Amino acid sequence: MNNAVQLKAKDYKSAVKPIWCPGCGHFSVFNAITKAMAALAISKDDTVMISGIGCSSRLPAYVDSYGFHGVHGRGLAIAQGLKVARPDLTVMAMGGDGDGFSIGGNHFIHACRRNVNMTYIAMDNEVYGMTKGQASPTTPMDWDHSKLTPHGPGVRPFKPAALALASGAPWIGRAYSGNPNQMAKLIAQAVEFEGFSFLHVMSQCITFCPEQTDWKAIVHERGEPALTDADEAAKLFLHEDGFQTGLLYSERRATWPPESAVPQSEDALGQLAASFRV
Amino acid sequence: MSSTHLSIAITGAGGAGVISCGELLLQAWARLGGRGLLRKAYGPQIRGGESAALLKLTEDERYTAADHYHLLVALDWDNFSRFEDEIQLGPDTWVLCETGAEIPAAVLALQPHVLEVPMAELAKSAHPDGRVNMLALGLLGGLLGLPVDSLCQLAQQKLARKAEAYQDAAVASIRSGCAQSLDCELHPPALGDTGTWYLSGNQAAGLGALEAGIRFVAAYPITPASDVLEWMAGGLEQVAGQLVQAEDELAAINMTIGAAFGGVPAFTATSGPGLALMSESIGLAVASETPLTVFNVMRGGPSTGIPTKSEQSDLNIALHGLHGDAPHLVLAPLDIADCVFTTGWAVQLAQQLQTAAIVLSDQFIGQSTAVVSEPRRCAAIASAPAEPSAGGDYLRYKLTDSGISTVASPGDVDQRFTADGLEHNEKGTPSAKHSDHQQQLQKRQDKLEQFDYGEQWAALSGSGPVAIVSFGSSSAAAAEAAVQLSASGTPARTIALRLLAPLQTDALAQALAECERVVVVEQNHGAQLYRYLRGQMDFQQPLHSYAMAGPVPLNAKHIAQFVAEVSAV
Amino acid sequence: MANETLAGFLAHSIELESEARERYTELADAMTGHHNRDVAAFFLRMAEEARHHLAEVAQLAQGMLLPQLKAWEFDWPEAEPPETASYEDMHYRMSLRQAMTLALANERAAESYYRNVATSSDDQDTARIAGVFADEELSHAAELERLLAQLPENPLHQLEEDDDPHMPE
Repeated sequence: MNNAVQLKAKDYKSAVKPIWCPGCGHFSVFNAITKAMAALAISKDDTVMISGIGCSSRLPAYVDSYGFHGVHGRGLAIAQGLKVARPDLTVMAMGGDGDGFSIGGNHFIHACRRNVNMTYIAMDNEVYGMTKGQASPTTPMDWDHSKLTPHGPGVRPFKPAALALASGAPWIGRAYSGNPNQMAKLIAQAVEFEGFSFLHVMSQCITFCPEQTDWKAIVHERGEPALTDADEAAKLFLHEDGFQTGLLYSERRATWPPESAVPQSEDALGQLAASFRV
Repeated sequence: MSSTHLSIAITGAGGAGVISCGELLLQAWARLGGRGLLRKAYGPQIRGGESAALLKLTEDERYTAADHYHLLVALDWDNFSRFEDEIQLGPDTWVLCETGAEIPAAVLALQPHVLEVPMAELAKSAHPDGRVNMLALGLLGGLLGLPVDSLCQLAQQKLARKAEAYQDAAVASIRSGCAQSLDCELHPPALGDTGTWYLSGNQAAGLGALEAGIRFVAAYPITPASDVLEWMAGGLEQVAGQLVQAEDELAAINMTIGAAFGGVPAFTATSGPGLALMSESIGLAVASETPLTVFNVMRGGPSTGIPTKSEQSDLNIALHGLHGDAPHLVLAPLDIADCVFTTGWAVQLAQQLQTAAIVLSDQFIGQSTAVVSEPRRCAAIASAPAEPSAGGDYLRYKLTDSGISTVASPGDVDQRFTADGLEHNEKGTPSAKHSDHQQQLQKRQDKLEQFDYGEQWAALSGSGPVAIVSFGSSSAAAAEAAVQLSASGTPARTIALRLLAPLQTDALAQALAECERVVVVEQNHGAQLYRYLRGQMDFQQPLHSYAMAGPVPLNAKHIAQFVAEVSAV
Repeated sequence: MANETLAGFLAHSIELESEARERYTELADAMTGHHNRDVAAFFLRMAEEARHHLAEVAQLAQGMLLPQLKAWEFDWPEAEPPETASYEDMHYRMSLRQAMTLALANERAAESYYRNVATSSDDQDTARIAGVFADEELSHAAELERLLAQLPENPLHQLEEDDDPHMPE
């Protein structure tokens, strides 16, 4: 690709048009991703968007990069496999709250712990959209709009940032779909961070949770430098309202995999075979 | 006087070291040009429980489990009853045990020749740290005429990381054992050529995979597949590959897909329960045409089943376990050495055909170690000519005559696409249109069915009116049965299937030409191969099923009897 | 920042108009996909107007060295540039009246933004050009008001529907 021509955000959009409902917060995330890519002058050919299943997981096809739209909950696993095998690529995984915190919850925990150098954007609208609006792990206890849980899910919602911190994620940020420019900046920072960066995006669902339009009034920027101490971050994440945005926590940690210290020999395969000779 | 084989069981408990004893004995035997198989059997304890090294020294490499033991070396009798099913003794069996030990009544009832040796005392007098297993190794070496220096050297090699005194004790014990003369008559088989290899099926599979180009492995531990992954962890380091220990099988298969999407040949190994967990994403590999190899080491099922014992009962899930119409490759190595060939072939086919290959090994060939002639390798498959997409618009899933489309990987210039598990059109854009679905289903079927798999789809041997059809590890027992049948005047041909899907029905029909009856041999309860074959083709001759569940290995004599019986009707 | 130098102001103006154009185009696509043709056509028209205005600004900026700012480095009164329709205010069943009301608010926000620069900038050229832009936005707003007056009132339950949402995956 010719990088001499400076690409604009719209140049990072593919010809495939989003199927999202007008009013969906995911448009904003898509917008922010392409803005971040333009700002970083990222090579389209060397970038891969990977997702699972759900409304937000449709995003990779909309970006003019390489992409993989996998199965429900497994986007992070595909992304880590790719990044480990191809460290030269920029890898971004994305998906929704059901995909990432429910069916893919184990991968989320272990991706935080493993610290492969990649970015994960979770678009949290507190609901399963593709299957008609069931409660997700981040749905409020008393949200009674789903026929599946007519009296509300009745269980405490996850705190994704706290979970990420406890699992060892070294970079935790939060953005809001109502502010795509701030989100773009956070995504750019996340991509540039050396390690696993987790961006939690409050992204409204106009169809199943129209009450989320109220978020606009609740969301507030934290406006302080990111915490670099996990103890302090734990206090923050356990006690905050979940609506503060910005880069909340960032700490450098050794990424995985480490550089190999094993000397390479041209005839390594021959030697391996020879080890079986009597 | 030599015989066709000599079976030796070495049993003991609580860290007695019977496995090391068996390994060293077989290695020393192999150095002389001997052939043989070592199986291992364990109780459920992780350490300290009873274990057995089950050796079968042979004159050929048709490795089946012994159905009778000529020699039992009991380092102790703790919980020996656990192995009663597996270690069959008789009046012609020599039992070598500690002087004064209480021999189980069930063993005495068989009236074997009992040889009592004061092993503990001899070991202690050889060295303060002298050990009974090494003394027994010396005794066995003496009985088989193995050079004592060779045994000592092998022991030192194995114990190289232990303290020097510990090694000295082993050597002293071996020498002391070798110096004893025992009144025991054994008939070891003839020796063959040297220049052999000594390895397990799981190691062989790992080597085959690396040689075929695998450079990424995602691993989740499971018995009896973990040792493939462990061997590959070390191997990959040597060839600048990567291994990730995943959090579960769901992650393992998807990491494999990710790496393969990146253009790096990728592999995972598992066993039945893990294969079940991986199934959804193997479907994703099929739909997205992402090449990968899943090496499944079968064990007794369903559910947790019998994790340490062999069975061929994952054939159904390997063939039919994917949702939707999801054509993919299913292969099975025929024996330990063939694990190199078949795994290498599977990797190459998966890469070439851009699909998932499931390889069905099992605990028997996976975890047994054998002496084999240098394994045959799979020649490189020539890759299909790239069909460039028209007009510069890259079509990842372009419809072609062969069904194979040109694959791009991230980093390739201007070939960007999004791989998708959703049905898609030629470009990869999600589509629910009937025409796209029909075309892509057909394409994915065509590329597998139109490919020329050559002669390797099966190993054919012998001739005769009866054909014994098998797959994977049951093929050795089938071959042995055919030899016995031929010797008794009813020649049989064997067809050992290496490629199970797509089934080469034309080639199979040809191999069955002028055949009067077919016996399908497999190690499972549900006659899975038999039913599969019946569903896939019309047979001109009667088809009989010999299906026997694990954990007891298939017995060639019983197969031969069955074939004789059905042929006599 | 925007009202200090002409180059800074023009950079902001270009971003304002191009964001408006991009957003309206994107929203028009989304509305087309959801079969709301009237609103889609209207958004396309708004995108076209923004394109016009963008061309004018670009003309003015020709030959000037403008600061290269990243998306988040611009200085706006709100989270997004004034004329950019918020994603979150959309609904696929929104009426033309609702769409136009939103667009009117955007035009007024843009006018207010330009007016503010015109009155607060110490740079004469910046103040003068901002004033011109503000007047243009004002005339757009007036045109929208005129069109709105011709539209019927919204039904009370415009966004309601009989069927449940679909389950695509």
